[in-house]
Amino acid sequence: MKLQDIIEKLSLKTLTNVEDKEVQGVFISDMLSDVMSVAQAGNLWLTVQTHKNIVSAANLIDVGAVIVTHNKKVPNDTIELANRFHVVILNSDLSTYDLTRKLLEIGME
Amino acid sequence: MQEDSCSHNWDMINVLPGFIITEKCSHCSKISTYFSFEERPPLEEYREGDHFWNVVESAQSIRFDLLCSNCGTLVQFEELSGLLMCTGCDENCKVNKLMDELAKECTWVYVAFGFLPTGERVQLGKEKISILEEYFNQRRKSSSSKIKIVSNEMIDNIATCFAEVIKDVGMLSLTPLEDN
Repeated sequence: MKLQDIIEKLSLKTLTNVEDKEVQGVFISDMLSDVMSVAQAGNLWLTVQTHKNIVSAANLIDVGAVIVTHNKKVPNDTIELANRFHVVILNSDLSTYDLTRKLLEIGME
Repeated sequence: MQEDSCSHNWDMINVLPGFIITEKCSHCSKISTYFSFEERPPLEEYREGDHFWNVVESAQSIRFDLLCSNCGTLVQFEELSGLLMCTGCDENCKVNKLMDELAKECTWVYVAFGFLPTGERVQLGKEKISILEEYFNQRRKSSSSKIKIVSNEMIDNIATCFAEVIKDVGMLSLTPLEDN
């Protein structure tokens, strides 16, 4: 599924530059070590973490986008770093659980 | 270690959670790091020879091995403390210069960091670093970008390095909800 479609269907807020691309699968964790060991390239990564080092983990695996749930405020330094490394960060008002349900409803698996 | 005839296909196996413990000697300020499988690091200062160690950081992390599914080669990464993403904090640093050069090709530079003190601990060799790089690039196979992993020996001054380390410490976000 195209990232731009997901953004529109789920009313996600774009915090960084967004390059439309194909994304595949959803990965949920708040641990960077989980991302390093389990996440797959192209995944949507759902997390409540907002620290700068989410960019280093997301970039290592080349996740499709990071979606920060629960309307957590993402610091500017995280956003600046993400833009520099072409990591897409999105924001959702929904809880991780509710966003996961919505992702399933639109056909993301 | 590597079978040259094999085009390796690496899988991460034996993933074990633990803690990267950073200690500092209160007498000589020496820094020491190690991987611990115990639930909690020592909380009180303890003596080891001339050193009086105090824990300054305990970060959750993982230890893992890589296994080639084609030839069965197993590579252990017990010397790896963590991966740092170069953020270009020091324009004179060799890692930064390499990053500037490779950024044009969408290749991002990470540093494979060993345990401290570097002179007293076995550090990751070039071959293992190369395997690590191959593994992560295989995971990024659908991507138009790549990563380059280099040794921490390339960092001129670790004390002034602000690279972003992939480890779980201080990660709890204390930022309030936007509504508040």
